[in-house]
This record gives sequence, C-alpha cells and structure tokens, in this order.
Amino acid sequence: MAIRSELELIQEIEHLRAELLRHEREASETELQLERYAADLRETFKQERARSQELTRSYMATVRALSNAVEARDAYTGKHAERVAAYAMEIARALGVPISDAPEIEFGFLLHDIGKLAIPDAILYKPGALTDCERALMAQHPLLGAEIVREIAFLGEAAQVVRSHHERWDGSGYPDGLAGEQIPLAARVFSVADVLDALTTERPYRPASPLSIAREMIVAESGQQFDPRVVEAFKSIDDETLERLGAAAR
Amino acid sequence: MTRGVLIVDDEPFIRKLVATTLEDVAEFDLHEAADGIEALEVAHRVRPALILLDVDMPRLDGIETCRRMREDPATSGATIVMLTAVHDDRVERLAEDAGADLFLTKPFSPLALLRLVDGLAVQE
Repeated sequence: MAIRSELELIQEIEHLRAELLRHEREASETELQLERYAADLRETFKQERARSQELTRSYMATVRALSNAVEARDAYTGKHAERVAAYAMEIARALGVPISDAPEIEFGFLLHDIGKLAIPDAILYKPGALTDCERALMAQHPLLGAEIVREIAFLGEAAQVVRSHHERWDGSGYPDGLAGEQIPLAARVFSVADVLDALTTERPYRPASPLSIAREMIVAESGQQFDPRVVEAFKSIDDETLERLGAAAR
Repeated sequence: MTRGVLIVDDEPFIRKLVATTLEDVAEFDLHEAADGIEALEVAHRVRPALILLDVDMPRLDGIETCRRMREDPATSGATIVMLTAVHDDRVERLAEDAGADLFLTKPFSPLALLRLVDGLAVQE
C-alpha cells in the first residue's frame, strides 16, 4: 500500500512536471508571438513616419514650386515670399501662438500672392499709377488666390492667409473688410511681415528703408493697420534675427 | 458561397490574436475552431475562402485535417495556410502532400498575415 502510493506520487509528480513544461513552452510561444507583433508594430510605425515625412517634403516642394511661379513673374520682389514667410514664422514664434506649431501655415505665407498669376502683365508691370479700374482688379488678387488654392486640402488654415493678407485691423482693408479678431490670426501676423519686407527692400520708385525706420513705421500702424499684440511680438524680435532671416532668403 | 476565414488552433490566445489582426481589415466573416475535428465540421458548414491551420493539435492534427478538407468538395477549393511551430522541411513536405497552399511560421508576422488575406481579397 505504501509502495503503491509512492509510485502514484512519482507518477503524479511526472505528470505535473510534463504539464509544467507544456505550460512553459506555451508561455514562451505566446511571448515570442507577442514580440513578433511588437516588432511589426515598430516597423509599421517607422515606415509610417518616413512616409509622412516624405509627404510633407513633397507638399513643401509643391508649394515652393507654386510660390516660385508667382515670383518668376515679378522681377522686382525677388525672394519676397520666402523672406516674408521667414519673418512671419518668427513673429508667430515670438507671439507664442499655436500657428507656429502648424507647419502648413508657412505654405499660406509662401503662397499669399498666388492670385497675382491671374493679374494681366499690363497691370502687374505698369510703371505708372494704376487707374481706379486697374486698382480694383489688382485688389481682386486675394480672392483669385483663394479660388486657386480652394481645392488644396493640405493647406488647411493656411488658405486664409491667401484670402485675408490685405485686411487691416481697423477694418479698412480688402477683400472682405474684416476688422480686429475677425481677421484670421495667421493673416494678422503675415501683414506685419509683408510690410516689413516691402519697406526694407528696394523698389523701382524708392530705396530700401533701414530696419530702424521700418520698425517705427510698423509701430505707428499698431491698432490701425496691425493687431497691437502682433506688433508687440514683432518689437520683441531683435535686429540681428530679422537681418539674418532677410539675408537667408535673398 | 460565404467568403470566410477559419482560424484553427488549440491555443485560444493565437485564435484571439489572429481574429483581432484580421478584424475590420478583411472583408470576410471570421470563424474559429480549437482542433481538427471541430475544424472539419465548421469548414464544411461555412465553406471559408481561407483556412489558417495549426499543425500541432489534439484529436486530429493539422496535416490530417488538411487532407480531409481537400477531400470534402465544400472545402477543396479553399486556400489553406499551415501555421508551423518551427521551420521544418519534413512537416512542410507532409503538409504540401496533404494539400496545403502556404506556410506561416510561428511566431508569425501579423503584417505577413494581413498581406496574405489582402492578396486573397484582390484575387476575388
């Protein structure tokens, strides 16, 4: 009786040991399978990230090509769009607003004048003053531009810069006569950058103003042409930074 | 004819994993079986387009299950993928003789599984 029970005990132990081994094997198979899933997940994530970066690069290249097409027609302004985009991004950073986190906003800065493609050469290049009629057509360029980029989904809010970059804080701008915070923030930021570049670059009818004069003129327009908050942010950027940004895109 | 995927494995964990992987991706109905005998019954009934078959199972192993599926007109045309525990030429030869189309070695890649099912959907 005692011997049989000992045998039974040994059999029981062996059975349990086999059972344990089976469990261990299954557990390690499970672990390996999960590791395999994790490896695939990592790989998928990496590919996804690479693809998304590639997509952003090709968006950027497309936007630059469009922006170059605008500039190619206008010999006077040179790299105007790139300088303005660089100034506007810096002002947005100084303002500490979320638009500096939205890379597509830069696309809007670069493409702001795309509507000028639809303006006839005779008006765009006219050496003298424009007639009322010509001026009215010229003032259509933000709307024409908004129409051109309407279907480009990846521009997102950047499309608002194209439409609203000639609005003024006091409501006397065009094409919609928006005032104050009705004007999209990116467009309010942009208009300061646009005027900064216009003043500090040479034009056929006037020389370039020094940075200090441009600053004074912009500050004088705070609350009229420009959002006072944006002007404050602009004032906080030092001369070296602005000169560096302007030179980089010349 | 119902287009379905049948997952046959004695490990509930593997069945759950495969089902979760294919959920919402494949335009197929998913079915499960825990061993060869159950697999033959379910496969005959639902006529799946794809059968994922574990080799090592109680009651009836994957090789014999595969052979019997090929003999049943309801399942003879299905794509049968063998899930093998390790890369083993002998097992693969046996499985091929039994009528298996493809092999996935465990631990299998979920991406390989998804591509396989995707390829099948394209063929449809």
